[in-house]
Amino acid sequence: MGSEPGLRLVHSRDPADVNELVSKVARGDSAAFEGLYDALGPAVFGVARRVIRDPNRAEDVAQDVFLEVWRKAPSFDDARGSAKTWIMTIAHRRAVDAVRRNESQKKYDGQAMPEEVQHDEPVERVIQQEEHGAVRTCLETLTELQMESVRLAYFNGYTYAEVATLLDKPLPTIKTRMRDGLIRLRDCLETAR
Amino acid sequence: MSTDVHTLSGAYALNALGPEEAAEFRRHLDGCQACREEVRELQTAVARMGAAEAVAPPPDLKARILAAADRTRQEPPAGPVTAGTSEPTPIRSAGTSSTAAGEHGRPRWVTWLAAAAATLVVAGGGAYGVQAMLDDEPPLSLAATRVFEAQDAHTATVETTEGGQLTVAVSAGRKEMAVDTRELPALDENHVYQVWSVHGDEMVSAAILSDPEIGAAMGMPDEETQVALTVEPAGGSEQPTTEPIVQVDPYEVLRS
Repeated sequence: MGSEPGLRLVHSRDPADVNELVSKVARGDSAAFEGLYDALGPAVFGVARRVIRDPNRAEDVAQDVFLEVWRKAPSFDDARGSAKTWIMTIAHRRAVDAVRRNESQKKYDGQAMPEEVQHDEPVERVIQQEEHGAVRTCLETLTELQMESVRLAYFNGYTYAEVATLLDKPLPTIKTRMRDGLIRLRDCLETAR
Repeated sequence: MSTDVHTLSGAYALNALGPEEAAEFRRHLDGCQACREEVRELQTAVARMGAAEAVAPPPDLKARILAAADRTRQEPPAGPVTAGTSEPTPIRSAGTSSTAAGEHGRPRWVTWLAAAAATLVVAGGGAYGVQAMLDDEPPLSLAATRVFEAQDAHTATVETTEGGQLTVAVSAGRKEMAVDTRELPALDENHVYQVWSVHGDEMVSAAILSDPEIGAAMGMPDEETQVALTVEPAGGSEQPTTEPIVQVDPYEVLRS
């Protein structure tokens, strides 16, 4: 994906910059909020798009994410974690909530539910950044089962119980593979900096 | 909980726990400094994995978000929001919460529903309007707003057994319904509102209102499906643990 023609190179901001932006947003600085959108809009939209698939719903989720950040920025405490992690965690949680809500809905709706329209944009610009290469390299250090467990949970929004069913493995196995996989990813990303 | 509860940190960082387990794990985190630290580190790695998926959003999204923020009041600093828990900030405290019964076996909501239904008061249908957007209140989520503002929206405001009101909008054209939860009693940080669809003797979670101020939208359920609201421990529950405080038949709203 990273080698697509016509991709735009965007310098990913230092996490410290994002913390600084959020502390300004906390004081109602709308220019800083715009800066925050420029820094993390593609990442937030990208995660929502990847989990939800439908770009229209992903847009709605991205908007809700940024509004939550706007409203709650005054309570954000950067001593307890980076602002980027905070925002990306909200983005993923909201994307997952959206797909799970849809699933439990479908159980009842059956035919009443309108067909899910897949608007797959033929050319979607992947935004290249340093992050991309490091993450891909580090994901390759995971075992296959760790990788599958992490991938199905994160990108498909499955619970670990659903992942266990899908991969036909006991629950404790999946639970530990997820943790071990993320620990490996964490350690690799730390040294890849 | 068992001794290996901390091994849930990976699944937690991936948002891969069910609502009950997530709530239980969060309670565990409150008393485990090392676990909080681990979760924070794993969430940082996960955030970078997510950020690597960045794609250019549609160009008009930025203007929409900036305009929406412009109309939205920021919350005063309260309990710190941390990357470690990423839970909604406790907004206000109020004594309306019920405690989780933690029931096994046959759910008790079958009898609860009759009680909740008796308190259903349809206080009025008709146009909802955009007044709420102009007040000094956080706006409804975009998805909910679309239902409330649909041309064919029918709305009803319903009082709950705990005080406060729930406003429901139903759009036949969009095949969606939405709830405006901003007039419900505030909950403390250990509780959330959860929306259920009730069909025959099954009750399925439709939405956990971890962000009760902005409401929720959902697909229109089948006929003979009712929608109920309960107070649940933070993170929500697999099955209701408390009596519904309100119950609505969306098709009744549609006919109002």
